[in-house]
Amino acid sequence: MTSELDKAGAGRFPPPGVTAAFKRIAREPLTHFLVIGALLFAGLQAVRAMERPTVRIDSQELEQLVSYWEQQSQRPPTKAELHAIIQDRVDEELLASEARRLGLDRDDMIIRRRLAEKMAFASEDVGEIAEPDEATLRAFYDRTKSQYLQPGHTALRQLFFSGDRGEGPAGAAAMAALAKLNGGQAASGDPFLLPLTYADVSQDDLARDYGPAYAKAVQAAPLNSWVGPVASAYGLHLVRVTGRQGAEVAPFEAVRQDVRDAWLADRRAANNTAFLVRLRQRYRVEVAGGAP
Amino acid sequence: MERLWNSRTRAWLVTGSLVALAAGGAALASGEAQKSAAKPAVAQTHKAQARAPQHLPGYNPERNAYFGDLHVHTKLSFDAYIFNVRATPEDAYRFAKGETIPHASGMNVRLSGAPLDFVAVTDHSEYIGAMEEANDPASPISKLPIVQGLFSKDPKEIQAAFNRMVEGNEHGTLPKEFSERRIVSRAWGEIQDAAARNYAPGRFTTFVGYEYTSAPGNRNLHRNVIFKSAKTPDLPYSALASNNPEDLWKTMDEWRGRGVEALAIPHNSNGSDGLMFDSVRMNGQPIDKAYAELRMRNEPLVEISQIKGTSETHPSLSPNDEWSNFEIMDRYIGVNRPVTKFHGSYVREALKDGIAMQEAKGFNPFKFGFIGSTDTHNAAPGSAEERNFFSKVGRIDATAAQRGSVPPNGAKSWDGVDMDPKNAAARFQSWGASGLAGVWAEENSRESIYAALRRKETFATSGPRIRVRFFASYDFPADLAGRSDLVTQAYGHGVPMGGDLLPSKGKAPKFLVWGVRDPSSGYLQRAQIVKGWIENGVAKERVFDVACSDHLTLDTATWRCPANGASVDLTTCEPTRFKGDVELRTVWTDPTFNPRQRAFYYVRVLENPSCRWSTWDALRNGTPPNPTLPTTIMERAWSSPIWYEPKA
Repeated sequence: MTSELDKAGAGRFPPPGVTAAFKRIAREPLTHFLVIGALLFAGLQAVRAMERPTVRIDSQELEQLVSYWEQQSQRPPTKAELHAIIQDRVDEELLASEARRLGLDRDDMIIRRRLAEKMAFASEDVGEIAEPDEATLRAFYDRTKSQYLQPGHTALRQLFFSGDRGEGPAGAAAMAALAKLNGGQAASGDPFLLPLTYADVSQDDLARDYGPAYAKAVQAAPLNSWVGPVASAYGLHLVRVTGRQGAEVAPFEAVRQDVRDAWLADRRAANNTAFLVRLRQRYRVEVAGGAP
Repeated sequence: MERLWNSRTRAWLVTGSLVALAAGGAALASGEAQKSAAKPAVAQTHKAQARAPQHLPGYNPERNAYFGDLHVHTKLSFDAYIFNVRATPEDAYRFAKGETIPHASGMNVRLSGAPLDFVAVTDHSEYIGAMEEANDPASPISKLPIVQGLFSKDPKEIQAAFNRMVEGNEHGTLPKEFSERRIVSRAWGEIQDAAARNYAPGRFTTFVGYEYTSAPGNRNLHRNVIFKSAKTPDLPYSALASNNPEDLWKTMDEWRGRGVEALAIPHNSNGSDGLMFDSVRMNGQPIDKAYAELRMRNEPLVEISQIKGTSETHPSLSPNDEWSNFEIMDRYIGVNRPVTKFHGSYVREALKDGIAMQEAKGFNPFKFGFIGSTDTHNAAPGSAEERNFFSKVGRIDATAAQRGSVPPNGAKSWDGVDMDPKNAAARFQSWGASGLAGVWAEENSRESIYAALRRKETFATSGPRIRVRFFASYDFPADLAGRSDLVTQAYGHGVPMGGDLLPSKGKAPKFLVWGVRDPSSGYLQRAQIVKGWIENGVAKERVFDVACSDHLTLDTATWRCPANGASVDLTTCEPTRFKGDVELRTVWTDPTFNPRQRAFYYVRVLENPSCRWSTWDALRNGTPPNPTLPTTIMERAWSSPIWYEPKA
């Protein structure tokens, strides 16, 4: 059989340059290491193949098995029972080892999931996140301020004209009342089950109880003058805002704990993503059909 | 030194140490990873509870309606965990505030309507937290025989695992290790921490709670225990200690003596097969005064409606109530067995038995108000939305096909589908998207809401935020219904829902009935008063329509409103337009009032018909609705009763 090298060679002897290269490679320490390593590895494999694989139950595990048995039975096991406990454990290990040798663990969805879970869990721990310092938290708070927006609060009075009157009559009654109020006279509307006077109601609660259009109208209304009619799911409203405190971002001190939790969650998510990115670099992913 | 080595030796050493470093580094790195895999215990920190100021934002001396859910399970409940639920108490509160949480089936879920005002997480105290521990291969209890195969993703196996647990519980064969103090205590701590962390007075109220899960012979006697404050016992009192609720109440009395205030709310009397409101005690003795007082001291409320059916009344008990057939579930809870005794299983009948006992023996063990709640096992408080219904037991009722609202296996019709309602698989289809708790409280705080629960100023709805006011008095002003200060007048002159009307001095009582629609649900069709009374020693009942929508005239001979013509287009679920009212308001005088007859009155407000969740499922799937199910329902609200006590 001729080697590629022979065929490539010009004559019976390799040209002097090739021999020199061989010699250089043969003298290279790395080559020595590789050859010695390969021999060691092959030797070790051969020895291992001849050896009987070992199933070992160490003393710590034995103690655990016994203590668990005691918990269940409220007494120490007899000699025979101890024998049975160990026998069970050994049998389990033997079966599991043999299953692994035969590769039964390879195509098992449950084992795969369990391993993936364990890895995900372990990777979260490897990337243990140190407690953030004050500056980090403040910087994070500055970046995510909108999360801590407290809804605006309003004090208001309203008159209500029930939708059950019909759209036309309710509108007419509301307009008449508005004219009276603007002329400095008193006016009244229909009874209403929700409050006609709010001393302090949040923008969010108004939106929830009356709908977004009503909440917006209240937000836009000038102080201390009657506006409307404003429509809601119940009917028409005349509204007079008597006090207002705008929406504001809660100060850092008030939400420090929340900022810390959010920061930790953010770091954890980033770590997990980074870990998966690194894994993607270390593995070649092939999916049938060429999906990414 | 350099000279001692020739260049070859040096190259040997350098390469060698590089190889060694690389190998050693790899070994070191793997060792490091192993070491840090032992998870350090993270200290739980939570905000110190905010001290409530004098008045919170939103304070209203005439009381606001707040909506909530006092019956919520998370992964800490043994059944929820088996159903693949992994959402935590923290997740439950997040969901209630309108955020998105993961569902056991892998989808994400959130409320489509408004967030809730108050919530209690009420996990089963029996085996609380144990399943999570059992599913950890590193824990000793994971080796128990009962645990093997308990945690599957396959719906059939989940059902089998659940049955095994229920059976083991019933026969007392479940291992003691499931109730180890260490495990219970950790779960109980998690519940309290989550409640403390999420309590924001004025905005969102949490209650510490748990479910006492007693079901002798599988007859349901479950109740939720709700604590007034963060002051709780070290461990919950569970049905493993005693499945006799009397023992629970005695324990609650004892807690009260130590300054730990709590109340219990029984639920699913519909699955108790007559046991929940039985006239005899568990020891076979008839109910006596001491029992009635013990029960009433601890149970001012019942849960009248939830996903596993509505327990107001049964068509066989109330044949003259045309609206009694609402989300009826007449099977046992957790086992596939039909209920045979409706008497003792429904709250209207119990209220009647209660006043009959008061009349004959001088005590009433069933003088309770109403709330609704979901009993979600998905950590999803308030998930009783017809249009956004994902039922309640994790992975086994997550899809429309599993719930029986669309034909199985992608079929396009119901031809040849086994429709036997006695099938275990059919039980989810009889569940309703129902159960919301309403309270009238001055402000959104534990103190204020708990006080409302105690005085029974509560109401229940089948899901929508229908607001109901109900007052009774002998001397309301004649123009009450039209006055803009009518709530002031009503409180000033009368008693609110949950209260007692004192003996009449010859005048018939007047009732202010007032319901307002949920802006994002249907319009109201009629308001009713349900009356129960004692006539010649016999308890009777009658349903009166008292306010009609659409300016229709009430027929006072039959006490029925004429039909308002509202219906639903089943191809779109659109209701008929311009039918029904925003609000129904009236002052009603009982025409059958007899000052010598003991009585109770409660309000029921009905919406126009709308699509049931199963019809929404079918519509989205493009298949006809399940022909064995109602296509539409009438959403409703129930006020707590007002009792009339005649002169002794």
